[in-house]
Amino acid sequence: MRAPAERRLAAVLLAPALAVLASVTLYPLAQALVLSLERRVPVFGIDEFVGLRHYAFLLRDPAFANALRVTAVFTVASVALEVVLGVAAALALATMRRWRAVGVGLLLLPWCVPGVVTARIFEWLYEPTGWLGIPGRALPALIVADVWRTTPFLALFAYARLISIPPAIGEAAAVDGAGRLATLRAITLPLLAPVLLTAALFRTLDALRAFDLMYVLTGGGPAATTETLTLYAYRHLFQTLQLGLGAAAAVLVLVIVALVAWAHVHALDATEART
Amino acid sequence: MVARLVGLALVVLLVAGCGGGGAPPGVELVFRHSRMPGQDDPLPRLLRGFEREHPGVRVTHEPLPWTADVQHQFYVINLEGRAAGFDVLMVDVIWTAEFARAGWLLDLTDRWPAAERGEHFEATVATAMLDGRVWAVPWVMNVGLLYYRSDLLDASGFAPPRSYEELAHQARVVMERAADRRLGGFVWQGRQYEGLVVNVLEELWARGVELVATNGRVLVDLDGAAAALGFRRRLLTDGISPSLVTGADEEQTRREFGAGRAVFLRNWPYARRLFERPTSAVRGRVGVTALPGGGALGGAHLAINRATHHPELAWQLVRFLTSDRAQLAIAEAVGLHPTKPKLLEPALRSIFAAARPRPITPWYQTLSATMQPAFSAAITGVTPPRDALATARLQLEYFLADRWPQ
Repeated sequence: MRAPAERRLAAVLLAPALAVLASVTLYPLAQALVLSLERRVPVFGIDEFVGLRHYAFLLRDPAFANALRVTAVFTVASVALEVVLGVAAALALATMRRWRAVGVGLLLLPWCVPGVVTARIFEWLYEPTGWLGIPGRALPALIVADVWRTTPFLALFAYARLISIPPAIGEAAAVDGAGRLATLRAITLPLLAPVLLTAALFRTLDALRAFDLMYVLTGGGPAATTETLTLYAYRHLFQTLQLGLGAAAAVLVLVIVALVAWAHVHALDATEART
Repeated sequence: MVARLVGLALVVLLVAGCGGGGAPPGVELVFRHSRMPGQDDPLPRLLRGFEREHPGVRVTHEPLPWTADVQHQFYVINLEGRAAGFDVLMVDVIWTAEFARAGWLLDLTDRWPAAERGEHFEATVATAMLDGRVWAVPWVMNVGLLYYRSDLLDASGFAPPRSYEELAHQARVVMERAADRRLGGFVWQGRQYEGLVVNVLEELWARGVELVATNGRVLVDLDGAAAALGFRRRLLTDGISPSLVTGADEEQTRREFGAGRAVFLRNWPYARRLFERPTSAVRGRVGVTALPGGGALGGAHLAINRATHHPELAWQLVRFLTSDRAQLAIAEAVGLHPTKPKLLEPALRSIFAAARPRPITPWYQTLSATMQPAFSAAITGVTPPRDALATARLQLEYFLADRWPQ
């Protein structure tokens, strides 16, 4: 244990950094919390305290429940597909003998395209199909666009881990008579797991806040089947200018994101304990 | 393009230069507007003309972001801050009441003689007013039109339809007779956005149903509105409107009709020029008539930022830009229509005179943003129309609390 004086010094030295962190994260957060307890429509000079009424409204608003559902489907489907395709792409890259750099470059291309540009490309691709106007097709169409855009992120993470696995492990497995599938299941995937979980955490948090694709391609339609939580919050913050209600929705998004992140970190700890 | 970039750079330099120095030699007015469509922007010429008439005054004009949504956001942020960053602004007809109630616009009632108001179409002047006061001057006007394939209607002996039921009937007959199975009947804007609200309002008006009643209550006639939406849903299920409609905006429907794949189209007047281009597949075969029940009014007004330091000069600029000469120059160059009957080509006068404003309320954005998902759910068959509307009404009641729009 360190001496008390040393600990005091540490606290003093850390204080400025903590104060900066608190002011840039906690202060806006506290503001959002306070705002969510008010009916505030600044355009019309409306500003009154309403307590938890916005939260009560959100919990019974079918549009909010719908946004929750859409966000959950979008997140689970797109992240799952990205992990599977990302690992597949990384394995393919790792086995390439030549042109590997070219392969990595091509793979990264979609990741380098700005979100709004991606959205425009897919708008053009989807136009003849009419999918973006059909409930039940629009959300899968957006998921495909998101998977196209972000699979490279997962693939790069997995690829970096793959090439750092010593070849000796694979050779030892081969000597023991393990086939390719058995090697993949018993060696490669477990070694990849921590990296994949971290990458998937990033992607999940991103997907939970998905906005740009929907905003550009569908505006949340048709029939709000692509209206995510962030789009819902946006609609109230920037279109109907109900700042209090929008803030309440944003606070709930934050709570959900925090819970998911917490669960992920626990899963990560568990896998690390195992390996 | 290069010339434009250079021009933009010069404007930026000029603006930057003004900010830095002491008292500028003259007065600078800043005019905010959305980009003019097409290649031949008439504004620089017009503004130079204004500067010649007002020595010592320089007018800088700055285009707004591309989409209406972002333009609205830009104004809210800048005007709510009471900044005098611009003096004259272009406002969409649906924003004027909101901006006026927010206290962002200069009251023009005493400056603008009542006699001159009578020169403009009544509907567009109505959208520039709130609480009996005038807040803006009409600048350019838009009206929803019904486009039809005159060759196909003639072949079946039909006159342009007077009701949506008649339209649906004619479309069905023409489609059945057509050799081309891909020919669609009626294309309109069904994507979940402001355009859908416009199309549904037009359907409501044709049935004598109001979205906002005179006492400010919303959706009083729930059954009437549900019937209107049910009719639009049936257009889709019966195949009279192709399925692309539920995802389509103005441009997508314009291209569909322009490629000869539809009998009827609801759109704004801008499409007329495009259909008559030499390369157009439907050239010389397109007729235009009023929508049953009247088309929705669109377009823009010019208003003055209340925080301006030069109210009198700003008013001179508004008068200059809304003058007959300026409105004609804009119509000539980019095809945006004047707001005065005497300046409009005679063929369009009666159609424009039948235009109807969308509900004039400071809460229009809230109303529209709430109705959009409900209308979309109804026409795509996700929710029965009555349920979708009832949900939207409950949401509106919460958003507006006891402050119903007046």
